[in-house]
Amino acid sequence: MKITRRSWTKTAGLAAAVTTGAAAGASCARPSKITQPWAPVSIYRAATYSEELYDLVRRIIAEHAVDVRGKRVVLKPNLVEFDAHTVINTNPKLVHAALEAFRAAGAADVRIAEGPGHRRVTLDLADAGGYFATVPKFETIFTDLNLDEITRVALVNPQSRLKSLFLPNTILGSDLLVSMPKLKTHHWAGATLSMKNLFGIVPGGVYGWPKNVLHWAGIPECIADLHALFPKAFAIVDGIVGMEGNGPIQGTPRTAGVVIAGASPVAVDATCCRIMGLDPTRIRYLQLAAGEQNLGEDLIPQRGERISSVASRFAVLPGLETLRLPG
Amino acid sequence: MQYSEDLLGRQNADGGWSYHRGGSWTEPTCYALLALTASGASHTLEVRRGVEWLRRCQRADGGFAPRESVSESIWLTALTLLLPPETEGLDRQRAEAWTAEQTGRESGWVNRLRLWMLGADSSGDSMGFDGWAWYPGTAAWVTPTAVSVLALEKMAKNGNPADLEKRIQEGRSFLLARRCRDGGWNHGSTRALGYDSDSYPETTGIALLALHGTTGPEVSKGLERGEQHLAACQSSEAASWLRLGLGAHGRPAPVADLPMHGGVMEIAIAALADAAQAGDNPFLV
Repeated sequence: MKITRRSWTKTAGLAAAVTTGAAAGASCARPSKITQPWAPVSIYRAATYSEELYDLVRRIIAEHAVDVRGKRVVLKPNLVEFDAHTVINTNPKLVHAALEAFRAAGAADVRIAEGPGHRRVTLDLADAGGYFATVPKFETIFTDLNLDEITRVALVNPQSRLKSLFLPNTILGSDLLVSMPKLKTHHWAGATLSMKNLFGIVPGGVYGWPKNVLHWAGIPECIADLHALFPKAFAIVDGIVGMEGNGPIQGTPRTAGVVIAGASPVAVDATCCRIMGLDPTRIRYLQLAAGEQNLGEDLIPQRGERISSVASRFAVLPGLETLRLPG
Repeated sequence: MQYSEDLLGRQNADGGWSYHRGGSWTEPTCYALLALTASGASHTLEVRRGVEWLRRCQRADGGFAPRESVSESIWLTALTLLLPPETEGLDRQRAEAWTAEQTGRESGWVNRLRLWMLGADSSGDSMGFDGWAWYPGTAAWVTPTAVSVLALEKMAKNGNPADLEKRIQEGRSFLLARRCRDGGWNHGSTRALGYDSDSYPETTGIALLALHGTTGPEVSKGLERGEQHLAACQSSEAASWLRLGLGAHGRPAPVADLPMHGGVMEIAIAALADAAQAGDNPFLV
């Protein structure tokens, strides 16, 4: 019998050992033991990037009793590419609405901060994405996290091979980190949401563009590690127009017409997955971050719309079909 | 001259430069020093203070850390080799040795074996040539490879060309292999999961700069794409890299009228593009 390298690998059972870890963990889906409820998640309809977003975000903050009086808040949108139509990037209108809402809620300081993974010219990227036009004095309240002051931070029981990471002082010095991603499918991780958005806090000034150290250490594991550093981050997801297919860059715009938010990034991301028609228990980084806590839909209290009323089955790349929810 | 004054006004008290504001970093300090020494004006004291700060970031292994508080040597060691000889005080020999021995992790035998066992094709653009990584232990990418090629070229002119020529050639081959389908360069990922990726203006500029003196249809298509990028460019810094890259192939490019945000890198690269256009490309002499 001729032994090919493929058959040999399969026979020897070495594939799992040599693979850096499949980002989407379809084969690992299993019910977790702990059935405590997660923090509630809000799902609200928003058809367009209109002035109504300002009221909506204020309502969300009040609904979750987010107390930011006298505190330093950092809003972390997802800025990826030069894109006048803001399909790839978090829409600046939603970020400005959050800025105004947290200021109105009594925050002492609200900053916008991001460290893109591929493009180094962050301010130009933000300008092209409409941030300068939408957010007054944007330049004075924005921090490029790739180039910020840094401190080495030990990871908490890391799931990846990393023991520590340098992180920006703007993030480390904040009282509340607000992750504001776009609702997107992701060609490696399955979905990119509030937890994956934290890749943007890792400084390119140390690790480069892309932040390839995270890829070699394991994408899902690093997402879980970053989440473990900021488990109480608040999440506001721009799902008004999301991206399906070959996300996070080359996908297709997909109108979902929702804003999803909550005080548990895991619960928010799991809910976003269900809205996109993906099974969160099959997303490897969600499995890792949830640990033994069950991600069942019935354990995530919802406010506003029901998932079924806003669900919008996003297209995924052929290899990721196994992540889909049945039906 | 205006750029020089801007840069001098941005020098930190410790002698280095930050990217925008705050503490000093190695990369903007290198570019500021390169721009100041290329300006033709005498800034001896400021340059000496900058080099003195830089010297504190050189580590025992010969490489440079991105700032004093970081204990790892990274890609920008190559940048220090681009500084002109009159910026004395750095141990260039050890910095050169550190740079010359760096390769991307993907081209190492462990990763090739891993891919072979997985049945993946390791003969494509990812594996073919040794480039340079941003950070040790990770894969090679376009910008650190382009800067390292330029740095080793400069060292070869003054030292042991035979020792360095192979790495320089490998680096150039890496860059040619990482061209996007549209002819230009992005960060170094030409294809993902069967989909072609688009190039960026800034990385197209820096790759063309490193490929100066190289001719052929690949470079011609890169130049064409570079000119297209410049015509539609939305970033002053990216436009300066394109001017440097196109100019290195004898294609003078107009100064783009784009807003500047006042970052040290943005100012320094603009100054370097001006110097190159005036006939004195600091990356190549």
